[in-house]
Amino acid sequence: MNLDFSQIVPYIPFMLEGIWATLKFVFFAIILGSILGTILALFKIGSIIPLRWFADAYTSIFRGTPLILQLMIIYYSTPQLTGYDISAFLSAILAFGLNSSAYISEIIRAGIQAVDKGQMEAAQALGVPYRAMMKDIILPQALKNILPALMNEFITLTKESAIVSTIGYLDLMRRAQVVGSDLFRNFEPLLFVGLIYWCMVMGLTMIGRVFERRLKQSD
Amino acid sequence: MINVQNLYKKFGTNEVLSDISTTISKGEVVSIIGPSGSGKSTFLRCLNLLEVPTSGSIDINGKNLTSSKKNIHKIRQQIGMVFQHFHLFPHLTVLENLTYAPMKAKGIKKAEAEMKARLLLERVGLSEKETAYPNSLSGGQKQRVAIARALAMEPELMLFDEPTSALDPEMVKEVLDVMKDLAKSGMTMVVVTHEMGFAREVADRVLFLDHGVLVEEGQPNEFFSHPKTERAKDFLDKVL
Ligand SMILES: Nc1ncnc2c1ncn2[C@@H]1O[C@H](COP(=O)(O)OP(=O)(O)O)[C@@H](O)[C@H]1O
Ligand SMILES: [Mg+2]
Repeated sequence: MNLDFSQIVPYIPFMLEGIWATLKFVFFAIILGSILGTILALFKIGSIIPLRWFADAYTSIFRGTPLILQLMIIYYSTPQLTGYDISAFLSAILAFGLNSSAYISEIIRAGIQAVDKGQMEAAQALGVPYRAMMKDIILPQALKNILPALMNEFITLTKESAIVSTIGYLDLMRRAQVVGSDLFRNFEPLLFVGLIYWCMVMGLTMIGRVFERRLKQSD
Repeated sequence: MINVQNLYKKFGTNEVLSDISTTISKGEVVSIIGPSGSGKSTFLRCLNLLEVPTSGSIDINGKNLTSSKKNIHKIRQQIGMVFQHFHLFPHLTVLENLTYAPMKAKGIKKAEAEMKARLLLERVGLSEKETAYPNSLSGGQKQRVAIARALAMEPELMLFDEPTSALDPEMVKEVLDVMKDLAKSGMTMVVVTHEMGFAREVADRVLFLDHGVLVEEGQPNEFFSHPKTERAKDFLDKVL
């Protein structure tokens, strides 16, 4: 073993900047995925058949093909098809957001269906309109049940975000590769960013725990 | 007030209600009794369209329920419902359970909704529980909150589906007392119940359902002491 971490010291600021680069698009991807996922879940449990069909087809496609393929298609074919020179950053948000919305919609759908049917009937019997019922009564209770699954999805997304290095986006992973080829030593920088990914996931896990505790208030 | 004409309800090919006709007038307390599976809940749920009738008509205050899908929220706001298993909103406090629907469905201001909710909690004897969550309440307390929640919408009609069946015996009375009180105040009530004592004492009329058919109806005293049909006799022999 000849490990020498002293050599990566000058590169540490460069690699740390990757945290921000990664967090930035992961953050937007999670927002996009959550919003779209909620909408798709509502389509799936709703009574409008074409929307249900659309949501099912959407989920099937995004879960049935590799994420890296979706990313490449968005990054390389957008300029070719539309002439718009899409940035790696935007491509990453879109690919990860669209992809995770498929998974999130399944999690939320299952969560909604697990809420006691009596809750919906009680709200209906009180004359509460559908939208308000979903927003105030059903979704908050569903969220409580699905929070662990949802956090899991966010953690997966954070880790899988390393795939964006393949389209040249300077995220944590890509930076480790850049440093590696500069130094002709790969193990140290890879280990270093590995530690950072682990810290980020731990952070997310902790945030999830705080949320869970808050939602458990009513028990 | 309520006029039910030739009401049928099928689940698939299973005919659960057949040809039910009856009228209920304002201020009347009607008890529905009958064996389990006879269609009592289904009948009650048709009255606020939680179940959609297969055919027949239901008029409430002259408004036809089945043809007015659009105004269903408005109509339901005038009909309170109390369920066997309470169905309180577990993530809201007791007070929020009472104020939620008036604020969301009727657009009542928070301060006013809370004031009215507190009066109702006092009426059902649960003032000190307003900040509690439903999971911390006993069954009897939950059901009293559920009644107060329905009353918070200031309904003209209250439906009860076996409100005491899920309760421990020692809690039945506190809920029945609230219901008796409500009956005295002139509320129109339709109560599915196995509490024959309550039916006898409080109801103005008893409907006896068997296999989805309205077999017999009458004054409680009359019905309980001299049932006209064999089926009613059999049933009463079993439960009394
Ligand atoms: N949603 C439903 N789908 C299919 N069958 C139902 C449904 N609800 C009730 N039933 C059937 O209708 C019949 C009457 O049920 P119900 O009205 O609950 O009776 P009760 O309240 O008198 O016990 C039962 O045979 C029951 O299985
Ligand atoms: Mg029943």
